[in-house]
Amino acid sequence: MRKYLKILLPVGVICILGAIFYSPYHTWARKHVNLMTATEDHPLNCASCHLYLQKSGVISKLVNAHYYSPFNLAVSNDGRYLYVVAEEGNTLLVVDTKKQKVTHKVEVGNRPHSIILSKDGNTAYVSNQWSDNVSVVDLTSFTVTDTLKTGGGPAGVALSADGKYLYVANSFSSDLSVIDISTGAERKRLNAGNSPAGVQINADGSLVFVTSRRTLSKPFGDTIRCELTIINDNKQRVVERRDVKSAYIMENISFTPSGDLAIMPLVRPKNNVPTIQIERGWMMTNGIGIVEQKPSGRTIQLLLDEPNAYYADPFDIAITPDGKRAFVSNAGVDCITVIDIDAIRKLIAESTNETLKTYANHLGISSRFVLKRIRTGANPKGLALSPDGKKLYVAEHLEDRIAVISTESLETTGTIDLGGSGRITVARHGRRLLNNAGHTFQNQYSCYTCHPDAHEDGLVYNMASKDMGRNITNTQSLRNIGDTPPYKWNGKNQTVYKQDGMRFSTVLTRTEAFSYRDLDALAAYIMTGIPNPPNLQYNPNGELTESQKHGKAIFERTHNFKGYEIPIVNRCVTCHPAPYYTNKKMADVGTLAASDDSILFDTPHLNNIFASPPYLHDGRAASLEEIWTLYGKTEQHGSVNDLTKIQLNELIEYLKALRDPEYEQKSTEILHASFGHK
Amino acid sequence: MKIKRTIILPNIVLISLSCILMASCNSKSVKNGMLLVTEAPQNIQTPDYISGESWRYLAGARISAFMPGKPSSLKVLTENFFSASSPKISYDGRFMLFTAQQKQDESWQIWEMNLYNRKCRKITSFNDNCTDPVYLPGGRLAFTKLTINDTVKSAHCLYTCNLDGSGLRQITFSPNACFATTVLKDGRLLTVSRQLLPDKEDPMLMVMRPDGTKADMFYKGAGGSVLTSSAHETSDGKIVFIEADKGTPAAGRLVSVSYNRPLHTRIDLTSGIAGNFCSVLPLGPDNYLVSCCMSGSERYALYEFDPVKKSVGQEVLTDPEYNILGAVLVEENERPKKLPSEVDLQVKTGLLLCQDINFLNPMLPDNSSDIRKAIKIEVLGVDTTYGVVEVEKDGSFQLKAMADTPFRIRTLDEKNNIVNGPCSWLWLRPNERRGCIGCHEDPEMVPENKVSLAIRKPPVIIPVHVTEVKEKIVELE
Amino acid sequence: MVIILAGIALAGLILSKKPGHSEKNTKRDNLPAASDYQNSSDVDLPNSSGVIKEAKAMPVYGHWRNFTTKDGLPSDKAYTVRIDGDRVLVGTHDGLAVYENEKWHTYTTKDGLAHNGVVSVDVSELTGDVWIGTLGGLTRWSSGKFTTFNQFNSGLPNDLVYCVYCDGKDIWVATGGGAGHYDTQTGLWDIFTEQNAPMHEPWTYGVSAGGSKVYIAAWGGGVIEYDNKTKRFRDYTDPDGFMEIDLQPDDGVVHDITTATSYNDSILWVSTYFGMSRYDGKNWKGYFNTDSGLASNFINFLRAEGRVVFVCSDNGLSSTDGTTWVTYKKDDNSENGKAIITTGNEKKEIPLSPSISHNFIIGVDAKDDILWVATSKGVSRGELLK
Repeated sequence: MRKYLKILLPVGVICILGAIFYSPYHTWARKHVNLMTATEDHPLNCASCHLYLQKSGVISKLVNAHYYSPFNLAVSNDGRYLYVVAEEGNTLLVVDTKKQKVTHKVEVGNRPHSIILSKDGNTAYVSNQWSDNVSVVDLTSFTVTDTLKTGGGPAGVALSADGKYLYVANSFSSDLSVIDISTGAERKRLNAGNSPAGVQINADGSLVFVTSRRTLSKPFGDTIRCELTIINDNKQRVVERRDVKSAYIMENISFTPSGDLAIMPLVRPKNNVPTIQIERGWMMTNGIGIVEQKPSGRTIQLLLDEPNAYYADPFDIAITPDGKRAFVSNAGVDCITVIDIDAIRKLIAESTNETLKTYANHLGISSRFVLKRIRTGANPKGLALSPDGKKLYVAEHLEDRIAVISTESLETTGTIDLGGSGRITVARHGRRLLNNAGHTFQNQYSCYTCHPDAHEDGLVYNMASKDMGRNITNTQSLRNIGDTPPYKWNGKNQTVYKQDGMRFSTVLTRTEAFSYRDLDALAAYIMTGIPNPPNLQYNPNGELTESQKHGKAIFERTHNFKGYEIPIVNRCVTCHPAPYYTNKKMADVGTLAASDDSILFDTPHLNNIFASPPYLHDGRAASLEEIWTLYGKTEQHGSVNDLTKIQLNELIEYLKALRDPEYEQKSTEILHASFGHK
Repeated sequence: MKIKRTIILPNIVLISLSCILMASCNSKSVKNGMLLVTEAPQNIQTPDYISGESWRYLAGARISAFMPGKPSSLKVLTENFFSASSPKISYDGRFMLFTAQQKQDESWQIWEMNLYNRKCRKITSFNDNCTDPVYLPGGRLAFTKLTINDTVKSAHCLYTCNLDGSGLRQITFSPNACFATTVLKDGRLLTVSRQLLPDKEDPMLMVMRPDGTKADMFYKGAGGSVLTSSAHETSDGKIVFIEADKGTPAAGRLVSVSYNRPLHTRIDLTSGIAGNFCSVLPLGPDNYLVSCCMSGSERYALYEFDPVKKSVGQEVLTDPEYNILGAVLVEENERPKKLPSEVDLQVKTGLLLCQDINFLNPMLPDNSSDIRKAIKIEVLGVDTTYGVVEVEKDGSFQLKAMADTPFRIRTLDEKNNIVNGPCSWLWLRPNERRGCIGCHEDPEMVPENKVSLAIRKPPVIIPVHVTEVKEKIVELE
Repeated sequence: MVIILAGIALAGLILSKKPGHSEKNTKRDNLPAASDYQNSSDVDLPNSSGVIKEAKAMPVYGHWRNFTTKDGLPSDKAYTVRIDGDRVLVGTHDGLAVYENEKWHTYTTKDGLAHNGVVSVDVSELTGDVWIGTLGGLTRWSSGKFTTFNQFNSGLPNDLVYCVYCDGKDIWVATGGGAGHYDTQTGLWDIFTEQNAPMHEPWTYGVSAGGSKVYIAAWGGGVIEYDNKTKRFRDYTDPDGFMEIDLQPDDGVVHDITTATSYNDSILWVSTYFGMSRYDGKNWKGYFNTDSGLASNFINFLRAEGRVVFVCSDNGLSSTDGTTWVTYKKDDNSENGKAIITTGNEKKEIPLSPSISHNFIIGVDAKDDILWVATSKGVSRGELLK
């Protein structure tokens, strides 16, 4: 009995103590969680924050994992090998299609994006979006033999008809590099649309088509336009800039082998329409653009959606060698849409221009040409067909897997595992959620749709507050926002948990709110897993140019150039201190519009601000300059009226040089270290 | 001490198992996998949507349960009620909602039965009949209730309430009869709705959110078609229901439409099959149960049905004294989405935006019928007009209408001649905002991405004689 | 204030020489045939003259064809002309006029042009993009699409863009608020004014580049040379200061108020309102109407093509290789005029019928055998006489 007493006594004491302290501990924990999540109903789960929100250190390494995230791919001429661009693995994976496994891994640059093979199939050109270069990979030795400098954010790649030139769409600097392969030098750079993405040469090799993702900057209310840039392959000059109206996020393009049509996935947003309902396609629609390849050829838009089902985030397109079928990856709904191209040919041949204009907004038209929707793994992105056209390979981006689909039976015949981490971490689950439209009513759009690449889409939406037509809101980036609360321009959400909670579902997704598990995952991804790309364009190594240094001095100045002290509230650095360049407070910078509710606005963070036009809460400023030249005359948004144009340019050059906080913190550490050494 | 422990522990386990076993052997319990059927002792009359008397209120009807393959196991679950019908199973498979009248002269009310012990609980207690209950996600239910007032005159409106009967909310506000409601996987209600005033229209399937917002047509058959059953959503994306022709109401056909595109995907699954179908229960993509009367002299019985082969299979259940009018399966079901609500009962109005009253769809054949350009609209109440409103130059208008009030809109030209309409009944829930493309719109059209002139100015208040509505401002964003 | 002054000056520049007589539209049908002209030159040119020898070395243009609003030009006030392949781009007071396939098409602010007053046009050899300097900003016209850069939405120094010059990936502008440099690859702007360059004030009129250097014609500052390699400036000013006479010949640029520069064939040509200068990298040489074939000392613009420079003055168009001069002048009272060929003290006149459309010349461009001239009364197209 004593023996048991020895056990029972401590247990009893613990139980009694537990009973005594449970209530106060629970109360404290509730308050703590309420404070940290800015909600009152989040479960008391310590792991939500103390495990999953760790950005670095041992815990972070334990709870997170490495993934390959296949993004685009190419097939060897004999169909034996797949060359898979692993976006997160920074590698080119060589997959033996017979052995169904990865046989080689070639390390390329940072965040590789796209791949093109030379005609002989011995060389691969891989664009590295975060390195501003292209890796030249020898596919016989599986080594990188050269690195070609490009513009900012190289994405889509194509070879000229004679194979002598490489075209690279620079998605950040919005231009197209023309690289002489024999010398490796950039021959010229052609201005493209806003954030060009896909590059394809047409069937007869005479023209190069470049799609773009963002719209051309226009004030809110104008018809949005996204540019399809057409380049003469011989002259290497732009011959046409075709505006594709009411569309954006034109990621890729593909030509029929006969050359009669070019087809590109696109999204048709409804940002100019008040966000009053989601039913009947009032928020976002998804479709394809068809460019007739003949003189005065039309650009036709058809929706892939259906009245009660939407196919969010169309990404890539592949057309079979017989020109009969097209496959579009709908990344937001994990499926491939199969299109009967002959049906499209018939449809557009028998339709008047007026009818085609109506079709662009018709949810029923897809029934005329969509043959099937084939389910895939998470977030299907790049597509590639085997040379005989019998197999479609799908890069399942967030599944670390390649799906193999029979183009005859239209069934998935197998998958090839790329060997990434087998487990799905909480943050990875969050990334899947962010890229999936399943949490929006009828899958109409995902977080990605308005935040492509976890950034922003450059559009301004009518959020329709108390009356329609009010509260015009500029989409904000999700990159590295974890430490920059509050959220939303009105600053009413103090945490990501609150931002993506119940109100989010009421206003935006209009379907059931995220479960707490999903909310934890989404918060974990948003708060830890979305860095800004390196600012190679304006600040490649942290060394500011002379102009940028002058701009920094203006940014941090306490006295104007007449010698008068600037009130603290009017100094740039007061509201925009490093490393996030926000004081996380609300402010009135004189931009309240008559259509706005009378509120203060959240001070935005300025990291990589160059990449986020338009500016101000309602996107009225198309460029950084306009913030002050057109909309800063009252001096409420910083003291700038004494600046000369040179000085204003310097200030803006400095702002464009701001980078991700990661770099800012590193540079701060270096600075401290050098002081310590002294 | 060791011995005692070795004895006590197994005993505890055994006792527990026994309890579980005994519990599971409760003779009263309705087990998963059983089918519940509504049986009626008399022939079905022609559906009457106005009163619902002959279709919904089946005197002497009862709900029985049986194990598939064992018709002899049939047992009556509602022996304590004079009439009972319309069973619906909770998403956990443990409870059943049904409508019943305890005594012959009492009204029909909503009840819930615990399928384990068959204890019943009355949920609604109204003088007027309440029928067609359906579980909503989140501990609420929706049902039909006869409503008589100045707003809807006499109509069967939809209501929601908590499972204990509290928190009653009316969600439809038109002079329509709404019956036979189901909940779609997307969280919306799908109900058979028929306009009663000013003229009786054919019934259609109407879809709406559980708070009554965004009510819209889901499916409408060809002219003269009559919908005679609740619709069911299948696992492969179809909506199946029974449709009859007004001329031959005793020839109900089993029809399917695609959820994705319900207006243009109608398939008569019973084409070429003689018989009068009155209900359907999809069990799988190729396996339905149907209630049908195979010839005029027979009673309704339960049959297997293969929707792929479009053929009636074996008889599942027949009762020599009763019509088997419908079946539900006792099982755990995936809960539909629980939709958020924009309704704020402290707000008195709702907003309606129309992009262009003159929008003409070149795809519709009858567009050439009237090319007069409308420049204004008239908003009509049930027995009054709420006023005439001039639209903007781009044909747009924005109304702030009194919430929960039915209205219709017709378009007028400059001489007040009617150009189009009126449309079917609309209502706006408190704080609801909704939009339409035009007054002659194709339901499959999405809006043009443009800023309508009407939203650049405050909305027009309806009725137009009201100049100001002081109410709580709700910030949606 | 500078902007206002610049505007006034430009307006003065444009309006100072109004045509004295109304001139009839010259139609192609009325043009003399080439053989007719050849006959006349046979008669007028003495075979033994040294002028002939020199003239053959210098291109002479005739068969002039003039275009005004009656032909489809949006305005008779033509400020600039640039040949772009098979088309000709003319900047006018009322928009950009494009001559292609014998037809004129006008682009204005409605099409996206920054301002209808188009005073300078250049074409990027690299990309084919057309860069348009206007009185309200800089416009890029690329394959049918106009994109505007102004002082409000970009780093453009000032909206009065008097001159634009494409130098590879770099676009240079001379504006009322300083010279600007736009790097089309980085998207960054540099502004050069009296604050950071050896200028007297920010008002610049002209800019050109060549030999890895950029030459800015700065009001009152002579020529500002920017070395692309060293990123440094140096200036070339008139040793005589603002004096309107050149006290010491060939000691430097003839005057500090410069209007244009043009670099070609290793020679820098500089125009001023008081004469013209030539710089070969070592020595300056000045040219005046008194000691050369120069039409007038008041020079609005010049453009060098190969070894020949075309000089736009308020009293005719001159061209020279530094030795021989060919000057085109229109008669005051008719559509006819003449080409005056001058070599040293020898001078010979060739009658031209018709002549250039007006003697107040603001823009010129030559390519192959064609010469286009922008005047204050329409544009003129001349063909090389072989």
